Amino acid sequence: MKILKEKKNLLMEINKEFLTETIAGIEALHNATSQFINDKLNKNDLENVIQSEKRCDRIKERYVQVLFKDKRALPFLVEDRYKILMMVDQVNDKGEFFARFLQVYPFKLYDDIKESYKALCDSCYNTVKELINCVTLIETDFDGAYKVTFDIESIRRDARKAKFELLDILFKKKDDPTKIYLTSKLVTYIYEIASWAEETSDYLRGLIIKYPTR
Amino acid sequence: MELVYIITIFLVISIIISFGIGANDETMATLYGSKTLRMKELLILATIFAILGALILGEGVSETIGKNLLSVEVTTSIVLTILIATAIWLIVSSALGLPISTTHATVGSIIGVGLLLGGGLGINWLTIFEMGLWWILSPVIGYIATYFAYKAIHKVIINRLSGFRSFEKTEKYFSYILLGVICWAAFSRAGNDCSNAVGIVVGAGAGIDITLLLIITGLSLASGVVILGRGVIKNVGTITELHPSTAFASEIPTAVILFFGTILGIPLSGSHMLVASLVGLAKARRAPTSKGLWKIILIWLITFPAAAILSIAIFFPINMIM
Repeated sequence: MKILKEKKNLLMEINKEFLTETIAGIEALHNATSQFINDKLNKNDLENVIQSEKRCDRIKERYVQVLFKDKRALPFLVEDRYKILMMVDQVNDKGEFFARFLQVYPFKLYDDIKESYKALCDSCYNTVKELINCVTLIETDFDGAYKVTFDIESIRRDARKAKFELLDILFKKKDDPTKIYLTSKLVTYIYEIASWAEETSDYLRGLIIKYPTR
Repeated sequence: MELVYIITIFLVISIIISFGIGANDETMATLYGSKTLRMKELLILATIFAILGALILGEGVSETIGKNLLSVEVTTSIVLTILIATAIWLIVSSALGLPISTTHATVGSIIGVGLLLGGGLGINWLTIFEMGLWWILSPVIGYIATYFAYKAIHKVIINRLSGFRSFEKTEKYFSYILLGVICWAAFSRAGNDCSNAVGIVVGAGAGIDITLLLIITGLSLASGVVILGRGVIKNVGTITELHPSTAFASEIPTAVILFFGTILGIPLSGSHMLVASLVGLAKARRAPTSKGLWKIILIWLITFPAAAILSIAIFFPINMIM
């Protein structure tokens, strides 16, 4: 029983470390996109996002190693926590993918979409921040976490609105098709982060409903 | 026949019987199903409590097999036939990973011998029907009691929890209680089962050291659980998804009702009650049950005729030896 407890505490610590690193990664991405919108992007800053994702991968591997180290009967709820970890990791992957895309994006952002694009980036950042908040809350407060899932949904709706506004403007432009195409990708790729964060929050809501207090 | 041969035969038989009973012991199933302990840990625990139960409780209990159910004179050959037929059927069903009631198998064997020796008049049918009524009622009681026990635990405790950590904490407490309840059940069951197996050797009038005998049968009981019992434990433990709290909800009514049933002299079947309890639990939680449940019900239905046929088949060879 003592071993089981030690293992559980270790898993909790790793999980906490993982969530902190995810927040660091998404903040780095948010800073980079803000610089990009203001035409001041230092592409080396995007490395921070990529490195953060790599660190998250290492933490995740450690988590899995601890989980299966002695193939001991799993402590209650570990399966659910594992699934949450894997889903949050997808947010990191999508963030890293976007950072790599932004690294090779060869243009400056159109001036007339900067405001909407900033709104989209903010929404993306907020969905992930709220998601991490929800993942933390689910440990101690189902009601609080349940409420946050609706906040995430609402922010994701704002993101979707911003996305289609941006695409509407972009698709009406008579400019270099490559620039239009790649800029539209810039919009959809960052939106996917918010969309996945919402999907993860839907899963969390499902878990909260599964447990008897709901 | 020389006394030493007789004692050896009786000793071997008592080992087979305790092995069969151990192999079909589903006591630890909910500990496995609720992931409170791993299979290896369960088996170690089962071994410890089988030996302890046999040593501490085994001496005091004795049972006259077949006395109330048969109208013919109960001889040593009859007792041995009943016990061996029961043990064989227990081993067969354990090899299939299916839990059966030891009492059902025993009564099936008694009916077989009774029909063989006395025809329809060889059996006390009234007692059989009385017992039969309780066998039908056992699973029904288990089902209903667990259904309400789960609802009560859910309403009073589980419903007030919020957050994974409070669930974990509560489930941890339940796992300790469950562990205690099951260890106690395994301990008492080992004592009771070993006494049945030891009784025939003691009854043979041999001067064997009773402590040594109890250790042998305790080890044999444990070997049954370790060698063949995994299938039964796995099958019963996975009838429905279990957590320590839900496992507790299914174990407690079974234990309490069995306890009062024993005091009142009502022959309830622990195996049937536990399986029905788990089905009742699944119903209360609106959770699915395992697909193999029909196999368990099928083996319950064929236990009587199968044990009866077995006892008829082995009576003559045993009678000749004796």
